[in-house]
Amino acid sequence: MSLRRGSTCPGSDGGGPALQFSGVVHRYRSLVALDHLDLEVARGETLALLGPNGAGKSTAISILLGLQRPQEGHVSVLGTDPRSAMASGKVGAMLQVGGGSGLPHGVKIGDLLTMTSRLYRNPSPVERTLERAGLTDLVDRPTQRLSGGQAQRVRFALAIVGDPELVFLDEPTIAMDVEGRRNFWAMMRCFSEEGRTVVFATHHLDEVDAVADRIVVMRRGSVVANGAACTIKAAVPTRRVRFASPGADPVRLRELDGVNAACVRGSEVVLDSLDADATVRSLVASGVAFSDIEVTGADLEQAFVALTGDLADAHTVDDAVASRRPSVQTGSAA
Amino acid sequence: MTGLGAFLRFEVLRLSRNVRYVGISVGFPVVFYTLFLHNEHPAAHIAGTTWRTYFMVSMASFGAMVASLNAGGTRLASERASGWTRQLRVTPLPAWSYVTTKIAASMVIALPVIAVVELTGLLFGGVRLGLGTWMALTAVLWVSALPFAALGVLVGFVASSETAYPLVTALMFLLSFFGGLFTPVGDLPVVLRHVASFLPSYHDASLGWAVVAGRPPGFGDAGVLLGYAVLLGLVVTWRHRVEDSRAFA
Repeated sequence: MSLRRGSTCPGSDGGGPALQFSGVVHRYRSLVALDHLDLEVARGETLALLGPNGAGKSTAISILLGLQRPQEGHVSVLGTDPRSAMASGKVGAMLQVGGGSGLPHGVKIGDLLTMTSRLYRNPSPVERTLERAGLTDLVDRPTQRLSGGQAQRVRFALAIVGDPELVFLDEPTIAMDVEGRRNFWAMMRCFSEEGRTVVFATHHLDEVDAVADRIVVMRRGSVVANGAACTIKAAVPTRRVRFASPGADPVRLRELDGVNAACVRGSEVVLDSLDADATVRSLVASGVAFSDIEVTGADLEQAFVALTGDLADAHTVDDAVASRRPSVQTGSAA
Repeated sequence: MTGLGAFLRFEVLRLSRNVRYVGISVGFPVVFYTLFLHNEHPAAHIAGTTWRTYFMVSMASFGAMVASLNAGGTRLASERASGWTRQLRVTPLPAWSYVTTKIAASMVIALPVIAVVELTGLLFGGVRLGLGTWMALTAVLWVSALPFAALGVLVGFVASSETAYPLVTALMFLLSFFGGLFTPVGDLPVVLRHVASFLPSYHDASLGWAVVAGRPPGFGDAGVLLGYAVLLGLVVTWRHRVEDSRAFA
């Protein structure tokens, strides 16, 4: 990836990782939120944090922001502890706000950003931040008169106004429509290309594919997959076998070797298989008539489901992933 | 530290530009002063001074209390609900600065509120005091607004954005009525006089009444107010800690 460090980019202090978790354990009473989490993010990297609810993403982020202390293990952010990193003003964050706007009432957006920029040692000029977040036209708009998407952009502006080296975004596009999400990530992309480190959590898998340099999938408090989107997809053994076969019997198809699930729509048959070679061989041997056969790899959505065991046959996929896990770890991309 | 200054300035500006807030904080005491001034003869003697002066002190301390309770309570509760307090926690501002800045902003606003009520007394109530007395009165009333600033912030922490406003209003009227700000404590039934002696609102105004009557301010009054300020400050700090650890769990 390109590390184009522009003049506005904060100077880097040393070549260590932007952030590092080693052996971090965090429990809420009997619930284990983080289970010996190990994770490293290089400077300049854009990392997506994926996982079902309760996987430990939010706990990991709140520890990184110094809002909670890990009960065991070690965490470093920009070469120091999370609280010092936050106090130094080199970290920005956009948190989830639930129902609220996340903004104070009765203040113009320009004034809000000016005040916030003064909390930082080396802030970006406010005009530059307004421009980056697409808010130049809204500078005199009071905070209580914003649409949901506009409020979201203001919160993004608040996260970047301090000219941070490292930005955390927790579900930044949660309430946006498709258009809003596309614009948001275009903005984010420009920002990260200045050599900053971006870590974001999301549920939208299409965003991950387009935006992230690397993906970390979490499940039950630890990392189950770690790599570029294509690596993650390849690590999932599920293959999709598609062909045409008028009048095919789904029960019979499900008995073919390696088949996990079979779906028949009219004359179109789709099989999810853990061993596509065996499935095709047994399909031929079964004597079922077919045409236009096609075998494809998993898409990110399937990979995610397989890795986190959200749906489908969690047990089978778990075992398959566990046996493959060493090859999935590709380490830091930078 | 420049960050703290910017944040305080921001809070004060936001309060002073809020028409409803300023209207309540300045309007209530000024209107009540002009309305009730003639309930008694303005020149009637009471507690070593005249009614016009005595009641001006009552309303100035009432104004400072209204401004402080409203500055903290309602606004803080809605900022907690909107997520703004959480956003501030992920800036370089230290965690303690949110509460201290809220209290400081309340105090900054309380000073002009006291001054406006005093000016009303001077221009429309015929109150005449020496320059030194005016200054001492202002200083005493201002400093003794501190427990109310802390109380406002505490309400903002314990109440939701829906319950904060009624709670602040109830506190405002209970404290002022039972503290003897509308009816002189001496005119209250014995039981209520006893109640008043426990309320910070009574001790706040008492310090002012002493100043205008030329008596030295009572150590007892100052002690009670200091006790309230320390106690409320500790409870606020504790609530803030609880909230902080809970909000991100």
